[in-house]
Amino acid sequence: MFHLLTERVRLGKRVRFSLPSLALEWKKKWGMAAGFLLILIFFILPIMKLLYLSFTSEAGLSMANYTHVLQQAKTWKTIQNTLYIVGGSTLLSVVLGVFTAWLVAYSDIRGKKIITMLIMLSFIIPSYVATLSWTQLMSPNGLLAQGLSSLPGDWKPWNMYSFSGIIFVMGIHHFPLVFMLTVSVLKKIPRDLEWACRMAGAGRATAFRKMTLPLALPGIASGGLLAFLASLDNFGIPAFLGIPADIRVLSTAIYEEIIGFGPSAFARGATLSVLLGVVALIGTGIQWLLLRNSKRLETVQEDDQPRFSLGTFRRITEFSVYGSLLVLIFVPLLSMFLSSFVRAYGLDWNWQNLTWKNYRFILMDSPKVQNALVNSLVLALVTMGVCLIAGTAIAYFRTRKPSFWTKAMELAVGLPYALPGVVFALAMIFTWMEPIPGWNPGLYGTVSILVIAYISRFMILQVRGSITAMMQVDPSMEEAASVCGAQGVVKWYYVLLPLLLPGMLSGAFLVLLTAFTELTVSSLLWSSGSETVGVVIFNFEQAGATTYSTALSSLIVMGIFVGMILIYGLQKQWKRKGVRS
Amino acid sequence: MLTGCGNQAQETSAAKEGVAGKLSFYTSQPDEDAAALVQGYNAKYPNVKVEIFRSGTEEVMSKIQAEKQAGGVQADVLLVADAVTFESLKQQNMLLPYRSPEADKIPAGLVDADGAYSGTKVMATALVVNSKVGRLPDTWNVLSDPATKGQSMMPSPLYSGAAAYNLGVFTRMDEFGWDYYKALKANEVAVTKGNGAVLKAVAGGEKNYGMVVDFIVARAKAEGSPVELVYPKEGVPVITEPIGILSETKNEAAAKAFVDYVLSEEGQELAAKLGYTPIREGVKAPEGLKSINEIKVLEGNIAELYQSRDADKQEFTKVFEQ
Repeated sequence: MFHLLTERVRLGKRVRFSLPSLALEWKKKWGMAAGFLLILIFFILPIMKLLYLSFTSEAGLSMANYTHVLQQAKTWKTIQNTLYIVGGSTLLSVVLGVFTAWLVAYSDIRGKKIITMLIMLSFIIPSYVATLSWTQLMSPNGLLAQGLSSLPGDWKPWNMYSFSGIIFVMGIHHFPLVFMLTVSVLKKIPRDLEWACRMAGAGRATAFRKMTLPLALPGIASGGLLAFLASLDNFGIPAFLGIPADIRVLSTAIYEEIIGFGPSAFARGATLSVLLGVVALIGTGIQWLLLRNSKRLETVQEDDQPRFSLGTFRRITEFSVYGSLLVLIFVPLLSMFLSSFVRAYGLDWNWQNLTWKNYRFILMDSPKVQNALVNSLVLALVTMGVCLIAGTAIAYFRTRKPSFWTKAMELAVGLPYALPGVVFALAMIFTWMEPIPGWNPGLYGTVSILVIAYISRFMILQVRGSITAMMQVDPSMEEAASVCGAQGVVKWYYVLLPLLLPGMLSGAFLVLLTAFTELTVSSLLWSSGSETVGVVIFNFEQAGATTYSTALSSLIVMGIFVGMILIYGLQKQWKRKGVRS
Repeated sequence: MLTGCGNQAQETSAAKEGVAGKLSFYTSQPDEDAAALVQGYNAKYPNVKVEIFRSGTEEVMSKIQAEKQAGGVQADVLLVADAVTFESLKQQNMLLPYRSPEADKIPAGLVDADGAYSGTKVMATALVVNSKVGRLPDTWNVLSDPATKGQSMMPSPLYSGAAAYNLGVFTRMDEFGWDYYKALKANEVAVTKGNGAVLKAVAGGEKNYGMVVDFIVARAKAEGSPVELVYPKEGVPVITEPIGILSETKNEAAAKAFVDYVLSEEGQELAAKLGYTPIREGVKAPEGLKSINEIKVLEGNIAELYQSRDADKQEFTKVFEQ
């Protein structure tokens, strides 16, 4: 019975038949070459500049930086900490992400839309807000500590300034990446496969292990890789929680080097960045190994119907899922909302301290905020549009024509996302101020540099989203379209897009959200008049105006929530009209 | 240049005519303060279009260094946290020597002797204490007192220029030295990224004591946050947010006029209005802060602090990471 199944799954691997004309062949060749050139300029050039920097010293080109850095015991300790933290938090993200995705995709739990929205919202809470709220909750003189001390026994709140604290906050901060990329994959696995497994005598757990998991692997591995890369570059969480506990990771170590004085400061920072790049490459390599034998499905529509009933456990599951989501998501959100209504930071929460003044200020009295909202929205939309088209093209070549080149292409696109924001921003300055020595195209110091930076940095989100979508579509669909005479635009419009869109859009949505709330890169590259939301929040924070920054963050979260509800409403409308499939 | 005093008025109005064009101003001051400064300057020189870039001191500096490596510094005028940072630029010949006529009214120790940069205000590092604490301390030793074990926080010298400066000053004093920092470590003083985080931890009640720059405490207190500001009796290290002109400036006239304005009586009044301790003699400090002549300043030798900053940071890392 089982071999029949595997047979069905293996059907995906076929040779493509096509008899393209010579002219088309030429056009394709040129198109490919142009594509590679663009990737070279946008993704590889900044990385090359960094590499070059890491080999420069006062005496010209040398290995001095590497010998210096690698001889320090500190460096090895840092790398060890990084692997430990990034590995742990990625694992946590994957477990949490897959579990919630499985519940949302298959069970009959109620309020799936709400759960999905909450998870997405947790992704856009700035990481420093999340961090701060957890440290406040767990503080030795906080509410929780008082509650625990009244209990018998010696209970103390969890010390967030520790390995476990960093792994926990990072893990819950990045699990939406896994969730987003896994849900649509799970929904596409045909339910009759599971029935067949069960008929063959496999229990639910076995069926999950032998059938569901391997088929969902493209999504899980994609999400896992993104969570891995995001944890690698995250600076806010290890800076807040790691510094007090003397836990140094690569991203904080790089920052410490860069702000040092003297000509070697950058070179050493670049050297550490190259090491971090190596870690990112290893992560990508592991992901490839996982997907080496991954299986393609026959093309199926997403299936939204629940597949199993939680039965008597439904209440309890709902209760515990909502409970833990509430804790994981609402703790940070709530603390953010609360401090946005307080007259001054640190005051107790009672009637005389509550005020609307913070909201009034950012909505009425601050033209900067309105400017920034418009800037960020335009930037995010432009980035999303470019990434949607280019990223899907990259994903198409990567999945349909797997070769050394297309793999290298994917690596190149992924690196800018893994570098710490500060390093990436500096690399952008090196690259774009004078791309050719002596020629300044005038991009630096305008809003264009931000567009370029965002596209380079967030392209991988779209690429991973689109690859996941493509891996779910059998090439035979495309062949069928070609055989029937559909080529190019027609083929895409009528056949591929309808099938790929859900997966593509989850990637696009991630790009939109991350670009909208981006902070570190913008804080080094913005210029007068092109402030982004992230920069404004950062400026409020640094001026000590925490109440304003939390008010603005809260507004954005609310805005996005309203936006999601609108999209959901539109989808419902659209579904009612009936969809062409 | 001025030739005499008789025709000074004509001179300046003539100079004003010539001050025009674009001026790029890089700073670590809070947004609103930088904007207010530019507004005041534009009231005097309406023909200059000032473009502001603001970020943390460290970010501003790495941006400038990156620009230098990539082809040319874009900033004309720079105003960031501390003199040691400016000293590093001076050593790399990146600053234009300019002694402003307004600098005569500023304590000589707070202006660079070669005119590469000049202080613009006075920011002491003092103690912040949560209001719930009954007896206010009056000494730096409260942080190393076993009675306050695990209740204090300070910014990390690896991330904050001001904290690195304080480290250099404290460790060179006989009554403190490295022993003081070892005592802080033994007393479980938490180290965090920046001054803002220290204030938050103390205001939010997570910690009771903190080492922090004074003006943010005064601001938070004025708004109603439950914090108290204490100047310890041993004295306080002071940073001066210096201002300097980059040697690659493309608009020297406007840059000099900008420096003059910031150091002038008018510019200093503005600083006081924004809540800073002015550096110019004769301008009063705002409510809740001490004026320059009321503060006991713990001074450091800027050139020496610059030379030894890397070594200081490494020593700090050793002390705090056992």
